[in-house]
Amino acid sequence: MPDLLPFVISGLGVGAVYALSGVGLVVLYRSSGVLNFAFGALGALGAYVAWSMLESGWPQALAWAASVAVAMVLSLAYGRLIAPHLAQRNPTIRGIGTLGFALVVLGFTEWFWGEQPRRLVLPTDAGALELADVRLTYTRVIGLALAVAMMAGIGLLLARTRVGLKMRALANDRDLSALLGIRVLQVDTVAWVLSGAFAGVCGLLLANIVRLQATLLTFMVIPAFAAAIIGRLESLPATVVGGILIGVLEAVAIVVPGLASFRSATPFLVALLMIAFHQSNTRVA
Amino acid sequence: MNIYRIAALSAVTLAASFASSGAFAQSKCGLGNGKKADGEPIAVGAVVGKTGPDDFSSSAQAAAAYFKCVNENGGINGRPVEYLVADDQWNPETAAQVASKLVKDRKVVALAGNTSFVECGANAKMYSDEGVMVVAGTGVPRECFNAKNYVPVNSGPRISATIAAMYAAQAYKSKKMVCIIPNIPSLGNWACEGPKAWGKANGVEVETIAIDPGSADATSVMLQAASKKPDTIIMNVPKGILVPMLAAAEQQNLGKKIHFVSAAPAYSADVPKAIGPYWNKNFAVNLEFNPLESKGPDNLNWQAVMNSHGAKTDPRDTFSQAGYLAARLLTETLLKMDAKKIDRASVTEALRKVGDFRSDILCNPFYVGAGSRHNANNAGPMVVVDGNGFTTVSKGCLMADDPELVDVRADEKKLGLK
Repeated sequence: MPDLLPFVISGLGVGAVYALSGVGLVVLYRSSGVLNFAFGALGALGAYVAWSMLESGWPQALAWAASVAVAMVLSLAYGRLIAPHLAQRNPTIRGIGTLGFALVVLGFTEWFWGEQPRRLVLPTDAGALELADVRLTYTRVIGLALAVAMMAGIGLLLARTRVGLKMRALANDRDLSALLGIRVLQVDTVAWVLSGAFAGVCGLLLANIVRLQATLLTFMVIPAFAAAIIGRLESLPATVVGGILIGVLEAVAIVVPGLASFRSATPFLVALLMIAFHQSNTRVA
Repeated sequence: MNIYRIAALSAVTLAASFASSGAFAQSKCGLGNGKKADGEPIAVGAVVGKTGPDDFSSSAQAAAAYFKCVNENGGINGRPVEYLVADDQWNPETAAQVASKLVKDRKVVALAGNTSFVECGANAKMYSDEGVMVVAGTGVPRECFNAKNYVPVNSGPRISATIAAMYAAQAYKSKKMVCIIPNIPSLGNWACEGPKAWGKANGVEVETIAIDPGSADATSVMLQAASKKPDTIIMNVPKGILVPMLAAAEQQNLGKKIHFVSAAPAYSADVPKAIGPYWNKNFAVNLEFNPLESKGPDNLNWQAVMNSHGAKTDPRDTFSQAGYLAARLLTETLLKMDAKKIDRASVTEALRKVGDFRSDILCNPFYVGAGSRHNANNAGPMVVVDGNGFTTVSKGCLMADDPELVDVRADEKKLGLK
């Protein structure tokens, strides 16, 4: 039996960013009812902007800020310009709209930066915690801390603040909320900007931990969705646990004979199992 | 010394330095007579994977530049080469369609400069059935090196990884290695079985780790490889996957405990900068050809042809070297034939007789021969990452000692080549 502990620790870093991405998806879904497939593409674009700025000698903090700002602005642009036109359509069409946006952003990123291999190095890579002979870089530690902090922060925002209440009301019934005097566009703005900020931060972390490649980062939305599905697109703690679990399972799969070559299927399998599990529970209820 | 003499001396020195750098080098191709060929065109085809996961058209672009140069220099004894390049879009079905169109409809006499991930599997049998030869630029999957009518100019991932393993044994005295390969059909374990078979015959244990190229988690791959306690890790992965894997290895500080070597895909101008200073002089790579900047006359001629007849945007990479060689080999074969009697059967017969094609881009004389498969390029030098480039570290070229080459060695013996 191989020692699994190093792989569990290795999986924590990626899992934490899956969790953080999942929280970013859930926060938008809970406030606007949109499943945002463009989450990964926005993060990827932000990461490429940061890379270009760092290559040109800009300070780290400014590059990170620009990366998050680009994702926020694009997310807001979609949320204000396109999403309202689809607001009355069913959730599938609203989701597919973001998929189209993802493909446009991905196409632009690939066209502008090309396929040349790049590496986004963060200063937090230099230090690491050593656990079971594995170096958990500070970037990964930050990912873990952010996932937990954002889970708590967003949970509080939705449950305890006025804007959180409005967001939940909007997701529940957009027209009724408008009739009650909630300023729909204002709340939408907060939700899309928040989602964009999550995309920007996750893009930076994933570009560092995984790789700076537009296609791969765009489709990192899949494990994030799987994490959100574990949380039934509702529970933030379950989403965080789900994201970390997927990361760890994917890492541990490498020591399982026959599974190692198909590890990228882990999020799909977890999502399928969870959908089946949720469905059987619903029937029992 | 008066001012005119100083000026004249400076001009001569400048001109000499430009000439030696190849900037003013004259491209040589075909008959080299400067006359435009206006006879009946000779159709030559190529199938490349242009659109898809990566652009594999560099070999065909170099071949196109060479044929353009040939056509402006007398052609094939007066007949121009009509070079028809088709994109298989990385789709086997499209590869079969476009190859069929070239071979059956356009009646090409041969193909040259092909580079595709999918077309060998899709088309090798058809090429054999139709009696048409392919002098390919770069072959990657197993099928490209196991077909009667498909002749890749490069050595391929298996030979390249074997040479990298041999170098690690020589230079680092490695006794245990791990070979990392993506789990891609027709590439998969085959490309790491070369080092493994060589290791078995030479007392070196080589283990293979087949990875999922789509997985986000490179750290676990590196931890898994390190858990086997190897002296050397052989990377046999595309550069897009190589960079994050080396980054993960760096984060785990494995580069200070284990030697890292790679097959040819790591030989790319953008890799040293992307992997960073941690790997400086600490990452050795096998080349399928001599280095891009080598000063041999044929390598300089490749550069000159690309400058004079290629587009500025055409890459000057190893794929380009391969395409140039494929086009040169075919052109020189056609030039030895009676221009009026050039047809597919005679070209196939003539190509099979090629037994001693020489170029300083290659380590050894190249041949086609009558063998049932082709892997004539089976030697290459080793370089190491040095700053933002590479420096040669092997003394000349290393010849692959892969037991699978036994039939190839027998063919070489028949042709009188060592």
